[in-house]
Formats: sequence, structure tokens, C-alpha cells
Amino acid sequence: MRIVVAEDQFLLREGLVRLLQAFGHDVVATAATGPEALVALLEHRPEVAVVDVRMPPDNTDDGLRAALAARAQVPGLPVLVLSQHVEHLYARELLADGNGGVGYLLKDRVFDDEQFIGSLERVASGGTALDPVVVAKLLDRPQARLSALTDRERELLSLMAEGLSNSAIAERLHLSEGAISKYTTTTFDKLGLAPDDGTNRRVMAVLAYLGDVDR
Amino acid sequence: MIASIMRVARSVATGLLRSTTFALCALIVPACIALLPVLAALRLLGSPWSWSNPWSWAALAIITAAVTLALAHPVATLFRRLVRRWTGIELPDGYRQRPEPVRLATGYWWNGSSYERTRDDAHSDQRMRRAAEPAFWREVLWMPVAAVTVLPVCVAPAAALAGAIVLCLNPSPLAVVAALLLVVVACAVVGVAWRIVPPLGRRLLTGTPASDTERGLREQRADLTAAHDAEIRRIERDLHDGAQSRLVAVGLDIAAAERLIGSRPDQARELLRSARLGTADSLNQLRDLVRGVYPPVLVERGLVPALRALALDSPLPVDVAGPDDLGLASPLAAALYFGVAELLTNAAKHARASRASVTVARQREHVDVVVHDDGRGGASFSDGGGLDGVRRRLAVFDATMELDSPSGGPTTVTMRMPCE
Repeated sequence: MRIVVAEDQFLLREGLVRLLQAFGHDVVATAATGPEALVALLEHRPEVAVVDVRMPPDNTDDGLRAALAARAQVPGLPVLVLSQHVEHLYARELLADGNGGVGYLLKDRVFDDEQFIGSLERVASGGTALDPVVVAKLLDRPQARLSALTDRERELLSLMAEGLSNSAIAERLHLSEGAISKYTTTTFDKLGLAPDDGTNRRVMAVLAYLGDVDR
Repeated sequence: MIASIMRVARSVATGLLRSTTFALCALIVPACIALLPVLAALRLLGSPWSWSNPWSWAALAIITAAVTLALAHPVATLFRRLVRRWTGIELPDGYRQRPEPVRLATGYWWNGSSYERTRDDAHSDQRMRRAAEPAFWREVLWMPVAAVTVLPVCVAPAAALAGAIVLCLNPSPLAVVAALLLVVVACAVVGVAWRIVPPLGRRLLTGTPASDTERGLREQRADLTAAHDAEIRRIERDLHDGAQSRLVAVGLDIAAAERLIGSRPDQARELLRSARLGTADSLNQLRDLVRGVYPPVLVERGLVPALRALALDSPLPVDVAGPDDLGLASPLAAALYFGVAELLTNAAKHARASRASVTVARQREHVDVVVHDDGRGGASFSDGGGLDGVRRRLAVFDATMELDSPSGGPTTVTMRMPCE
């Protein structure tokens, strides 16, 4: 895959590049500031970008803003955002356009290199990868629109939010893939997500889970 | 007719009682001068006191000064209480509020003014400082002032009546006329005589605005010192017991893995795995620590977005309204953020609210943050409670906090933070 890496800390950036190259990927550009990241994303149109949230010049959320700006210009441009902390708020912003192809993970997730590369590939193919910390926080919140779901359907939704595919979910829950796709359909129905309105239903379901979609 | 006579009689009696009471209170220093005959009697009994002996005057002065110093505070307190009871006017004493001494990480006790080795030292230092305050000397000064102002005025009605009674003991037409005149004078002044005390007390017995400000600053400094100390200790403990020791364990795992990698690669791999999990754990702990010191979203986005993020993590549904960009200095924003966090926790935990709202509004010279919940109310600033803590921390920035929480709810808290 052709990848852009945006990370201001030199050691971490080099480490990421080495890790990606070790898995046979091609890092086409690196960036150390928010504006550089935006330029690199728009110029190289990578298959996926790895972007740090906090970067110069403001050292606030410059990286996240660059990623959102790039996706506003190139809808669905796959971006995996890394951060020292994960916020429900940022997850919602990343998912808000409903296009998929976003990931939002804690930086420590790179320790588990295979899972990290797995998440990266999922994002590249238009899926989502939310950090389990975000998903776990959501599970604690009572939400009216999710009250119709059974425990099993909630569980399914939380794994979907992490970005797992039906077959991966089936494996995790020790169920058949057929059963999973049945649960998926009833969950989508209960959330009022029609099968053919041109958006990614998995992303929309996750957004519903995040309590952001009024439909 | 009878009723109105009764009313007049009662008001005369009240006036007489009050003025006589004040006169007695003011009599204390003159009473010391009245010790003169006592000393003269002692002279007759062989004591060295005499009019011509200067040491006798010195003794009298010392006795008077000692009595004045010893009784200044109780007498002034008595005046304040009587004024409050009879007129409702508060005469604040102007003494500094002394916080309960707190033990610091260094082992010393901080009493709001100085560091002392033990709690008793801290308390006795507070007592010493009390005697050195301007408020105390104001009370000392009040004693002679009351003797020359309050005493003659307040003693007048009672003295006039007593004079009338004495005159009537040997009745003659002139004496009766004089007695009647004295009674008329007594009745005329009895309603107003005691009223000399409140205005005088307000001039001489209460603190000045400057000393109040100074007192407030001292209280805030003590609060701030204690809060910072607790915070630094928490950070030190969390780092020491948490991340630091885990990283040491990671180092040990890696060292062992290095040694084993040739001979027992399976064990080495297991150790490396454990090292990796250890780093992830330390990172988690560091992350929690950072969030407690300064929430990352507050740095990255500012107060209102940080409150939105907080609301998303709250177990309650919370609506947050306000402008994203407040232009608020970061210490002020952090104080408000932690205040709201505390209030939302209270709403969920103690008030059993089902929802809450946070409204932030920027005015010209201040920012208002209103937190409302539909819980069961009854919240109060009880000492040492969470709400009191929030109020004290906000006070450092001259911010105020208003609480409206009737029993049964709902609860509304308004925080007002001054800013340019």
C-alpha cells in the first residue's frame, strides 16, 4: 500500500516508517506538521494515511484538522488517526461524514504490530477501526435509541464499531457467519438504516452507536 | 388610652434597660480608676500607696492597662452582640479567618501564615497573631473611647431618674419641681441615648475594606498552597507507584529475555510479550495522570469543546451550549472545567439526576457557566465538601459560585469567572 505518515516526533515517525516497511508497505511521504500533512495527503492521495492528532504549529489538534480538511476535499480518503488519548468527541468528528475509511487508535496499539497493520488495512479498504477504549466508554452510556437492541445485538455493534468484519465477529462470538449476518440485518432494521441509501451502513450503525445520527 | 400608656412605658423601660446596659459595659475602664479609693484604703492598712508616691500611679496605670487588654475582646464582642440583637446591625470584628492547620508533604504544618513544626505550634502561632492584628488594637482603643462617649450619654437617663428619686426623699416644692424636670429629661433622652452605640461601633469596632481584602487573599493563598501540595503529592505517588515501577519491571523482563534468547527462545518471547504489555500499562497510567492534571481536549480545543467531550463521557445525557472560542486564559478554563466535572459527577452520583445541561456564555467582562440538573436537590457548600472545594478554587481567580438547590430539586449552579 502507498502510505503517508504524519507524526511530529522524529523517533516515533521513523519507528512507524520502519514498521510499515517491514510489512512490505510503501511510505510515499512523511510530514511533521499539520499543514505539511494536508499538502502531502492532497498531493499523494495515499491508499491510507497515518496521522498524529497533536502536531505543530499550534501543538493542539492540527493533525486531526488536517485529516478532516483532506477528507472534506477528497471524500472517503482513508485516514488512520493516532493519539496519546482517545476522545469520543474526535471519533464522532471523524465518522461524521458517513464515508467510512477512518480509524482512531491509541498510539500504544502499534505495539501489537499485526493487529495495527490489520486495522490499517481495514481503514484502507473503507472500513472503520475505533479504539476499544472509545467503544468501552460507549457501552457504559444508556442511550434511548439503542434500548431496543438485545444484549447480543449490542455486543455485535460494539465489535462492529471496533471495525471487525462479519467473519471476525463470528469468530470472536463463536457463532456462524450466517447467524452474524442475520443479527446484523435485525440491528440495522432496529436502528432504521435502510439497505440502499448509498451510505456505508456499518459506519452509520457505528455513528448511531456514538449517538450522533438523527435519522 | 391605657394601651398607649403601656406602650410608652414599655419603650421607656426598654430604652432605660438598653442605655443602662451599654453604660455598664462602657464602665469597665472608669471602674479601674474607681480603684483609687481601694488603693487609698490599702494605704491606710499599711500599703505603700499614696498620692505623692509616683510608683502608686504606675501601679494604677499598670492595673488599668492590664484590665483593658484582658477585657477588650470580650467587651467588644458583648457590644457587637447587643447591637446585633437590638438593631440587627452586624459589626464584623475584622479578625482574619484562621484556617485549620494542614500538614504538608514536608511534614510541617501550615496555618495560613507560617510553617510550624507541630500542630500545637501552628495553633499557638495563630493565637499570637490574633493579638497582633489591627482588629485587636481597635478593640483596645474602643474601651477608653466608650468610657468618654458611650458612658456619659447612656448613663444620663438612669442618673436623671436616680436624681429625681433622691430629691423626692426630702420633699420640698423646689425639690419636686426639680425632680419633675429630671424625669422629663430622662424620658426625653431614654429613647435615643443608647442609639449612640451602633454608629460609633460602625466607625470604631469594624474592619476596613482593605483589611477584608487582605484577609481574603491570605485565605486564598492558604487554600491554594494546600491544594497544590495535595496535587503534587498525588502526582508523585502515582508516578512512583505506577508508571515508574512498571517501567523498571519492563527493563527486567527485557534483560532476562536478552539472556534467554539463545538458550530458551520460547521463554524469551514470553518475557518480551510481558515487557510489551508492561509498556502499554505504564502508558495507560501516564495518560490518566495527564488527564487529571490537564485534560488534553482542553489544550487542543478549549473550554466548551472540552466540556462537550466531558459530557459524552458522563453517564448522564448532558447538553452543552456555548461558543467554541471563548478567548479564556488556560488556568481560568481549567478551573471552570474541573468545576463542571465535579458538578456533573455530583448530579449523577448524589442528586440521581436523569439529565443535565451546561450553558457557557461570554459577557463583556466575565464568563458565566450555568450547570443545571433535574436531580433531587439539597446540595450545599458544607465545609470540606466537593462544592466548597470548587468554590475555593474558583475564588483564587475572583470567580464566584451561586448555588440554588432546594430540597427536591432541581439544582442550578452559576459560576461567574471575571476576565478581560
